[in-house]
Amino acid sequence: MAKPNKNTKLVPVKLYNRFNVVQRLQHFVFLVSFTLLGLTGLPQKYPLSPISVWLFAMLGGIETARLIHHISATIMIGVSGIHIIEVGYRLWVDRIHISMIPWVNDLQHVIHDIQYYFGYKKHKAYYGRYSYAEKMEYLALIWGTLVMAATGLMMWNPITTLRFLPGEVIPAAKAAHGGEAVLAVAAIIIWHFYHVHIKTFNKSMFTGKLNQHEMQHEHPAELALIESGEQQPPEVRLRTKVIRQIVFVPFAIFVFVATAASVYYIVWFENTAVAGLPEGETAPAFSPLPTPTLVVFEPTPMPRPASLTWAGWVGPMLNEKCSACHGADGVGGYEVLSKESSIRGGNAGPGFVAGNPAGSSVFAVQAEGDHPGQLTKDEIKYLTDWVNAGMP
Amino acid sequence: MGSRGVYPHRRPFVSSGGFFFLLILVLIMGFFAGAPTPAFASSVLPSARSFGVVPQNPVETDAECLKCHKNQAMSTTWGILESDKVSLYVDPTAYNNTVHLEAGLACIGCHVGYKPESGHGNNFNSRREATLTMSDACGRCHGERQEEVMDGVHAEQIAAGNIAAAVCSDCHSPHTITRIKDKDNGLVSAATHFSIAKNCEKCHSAIYEKYSQSVHGQANIEQNNPDVPTCTNCHGAHNIEDPRTMAYRLRSPQICAKCHTNLDVMAKYGLSTEVMNTYVSDFHGTTVTIFEKVSPDAESNKPVCYDCHGIHDISRTDDPTKGLEIKQNLLKTCQKCHPDATANFPDSWTSHYIPDAEKYPSVYYINLFYQFFIPAVLGPMGILVLLDFGRSMLDKFSSPKRKTTSPKVNPMPKKKEEDNDGETK
Repeated sequence: MAKPNKNTKLVPVKLYNRFNVVQRLQHFVFLVSFTLLGLTGLPQKYPLSPISVWLFAMLGGIETARLIHHISATIMIGVSGIHIIEVGYRLWVDRIHISMIPWVNDLQHVIHDIQYYFGYKKHKAYYGRYSYAEKMEYLALIWGTLVMAATGLMMWNPITTLRFLPGEVIPAAKAAHGGEAVLAVAAIIIWHFYHVHIKTFNKSMFTGKLNQHEMQHEHPAELALIESGEQQPPEVRLRTKVIRQIVFVPFAIFVFVATAASVYYIVWFENTAVAGLPEGETAPAFSPLPTPTLVVFEPTPMPRPASLTWAGWVGPMLNEKCSACHGADGVGGYEVLSKESSIRGGNAGPGFVAGNPAGSSVFAVQAEGDHPGQLTKDEIKYLTDWVNAGMP
Repeated sequence: MGSRGVYPHRRPFVSSGGFFFLLILVLIMGFFAGAPTPAFASSVLPSARSFGVVPQNPVETDAECLKCHKNQAMSTTWGILESDKVSLYVDPTAYNNTVHLEAGLACIGCHVGYKPESGHGNNFNSRREATLTMSDACGRCHGERQEEVMDGVHAEQIAAGNIAAAVCSDCHSPHTITRIKDKDNGLVSAATHFSIAKNCEKCHSAIYEKYSQSVHGQANIEQNNPDVPTCTNCHGAHNIEDPRTMAYRLRSPQICAKCHTNLDVMAKYGLSTEVMNTYVSDFHGTTVTIFEKVSPDAESNKPVCYDCHGIHDISRTDDPTKGLEIKQNLLKTCQKCHPDATANFPDSWTSHYIPDAEKYPSVYYINLFYQFFIPAVLGPMGILVLLDFGRSMLDKFSSPKRKTTSPKVNPMPKKKEEDNDGETK
């Protein structure tokens, strides 16, 4: 109703109800879920864009983004169900005029407006309760929600979907979901933002009201109808209305239960994938080949040399075993190439002392057990015998 | 207006004399920074730094060592285990061919602290301890490599107490090592490349077993094909990363992509280079890519290349028992993560194909549809918006005469089919 302005003496502005609180709430919930869906969905379509990466980082990663996407989708499906009930109520019980359906006169309005833009008409078309811009948007919303919900649910529950449909529908659904998303977001930005935010800032979706001036500009035909008093639906008897309400209840329950049940199923029923990590490498990482160790044979007992003399055994044996190091110019000043040098010894003292193994440095060195050219026990035994025998 | 005439008293920030002083200073500093330090310049060893020891004449001192160590039977026992019996034999012929001798490195270049007596002053408790101790010597020339190794998983294992983990000499036997890189082009030589897998096998024999059966391993080991990766192509040589980490997992597709997006190599085998693109644009790949970019250490169970194709046992995609081109094999692979998947399920993955009229036509035609549908809707919307905006701007800024007329043209409309009684209000 019109309210007089306290401060000025201007003619009070008459206000007209445009959206009731249920409609405004629906719009609000829809706009929040739509925004969240767009913000979490489009980056998934363009994951390599720096904006997407930044958005994912802001949202706490792609899994969180998907969770938000799923929650928002559930909310949007819910509000769509409520919208069906609400519109159904007003159509069936209130018998309102279906004013959202595009009709021939909307096309006429478009042509009229184009003519106006080029100066062939003096004014814009006289829009009714909903202009072609709003009808277009509502149509896009219904089409978009249907496509997005259907394709989104397929992707959300691929295994269930593929019980009934060929596998290819999943990537097809993804293609449609992505294409439709781009269309929806771009249409909102181009069409919706222009018409209700840029051209004029239309607050009626939040306040519920338009003033007379705004009505004149944007819905002149509706204003005329209201002022004519013809806009009111015919009065019905209370009894008729109650009957309609009673008939409506099963429909409302059906839509509500169907929506709630499908949302419940979608969210909880299918176990699409396992939670843990895929099985990794089954072969053990560290499984060394056996190290080629030095083969050490336990020597078979050596027979006593036939001739325990320098020429018969000691000389050749020392030459074979020791001359690698103790050859000419031998290590430690010791050479085993001749009997004389072998007995003479090197830095460690005399090599062999006849009859005195304990005084022979060779035995002292060999007794340590880890000499690089270690002699066997038998060889040491026979060498001791040779020393005790006076080194023949 | 130029400032020249306005501030005649203003002097340059730096006087000419100061400028030249600075210039000379900068040039001198640049000379020192850029000039090669002679002590470190080595044309022979591009990858090894100068020696930390006074170079000896290898011919003289080595002959002294080889007097004993050319003896094949020469051995010693460290520690209490008979298995710790260590051969002390050095094959002089092999050493004469090493890159170390070529670089003039004498025995005592590495075996520093040598003492003339038996055992040379070494007193190790085990063969392994001797190896670990000696490997420190490598860093004196190969400092950069050793720093890389210190970042690697082997060094990490040793630090954690697993002394079996590889050190330098386990892979590069210093007494037999020949040139790793080709002297002319600086690339890893073919001989080295084909020896790498065998080298790793010494400790990773079970992995080698799998690898040798894989499409890469067979080509590498049986056909000496240089195009296929050997161990180091994926794992690196020195700073080997633990491949079991999340970071490695998330980054792994890029390792595969190094070769699999290379047109020249893939063309030889008729393989697609679109594997990475198609992976990233798919649900799995998108997730992994974003994880890698946003939280590279976080856990994601979305599959990377090797989850489907195998890690070391990668097979041809047309392999009858494991190849993913065979639908039955693919289904089994899907079921690893999607246990409820049915026979239809594998078709929901476009198999690295870019959908076209033959492969995945519905996807192709839906994309095509939106290619036209989106502009078909947005185009008229945009045109109407622009026209409306243009007209409103025109009205706003054009002659006031026109401006004043327009609100007046906004009366209550007459509805053709209705009476006029509402107009009286």
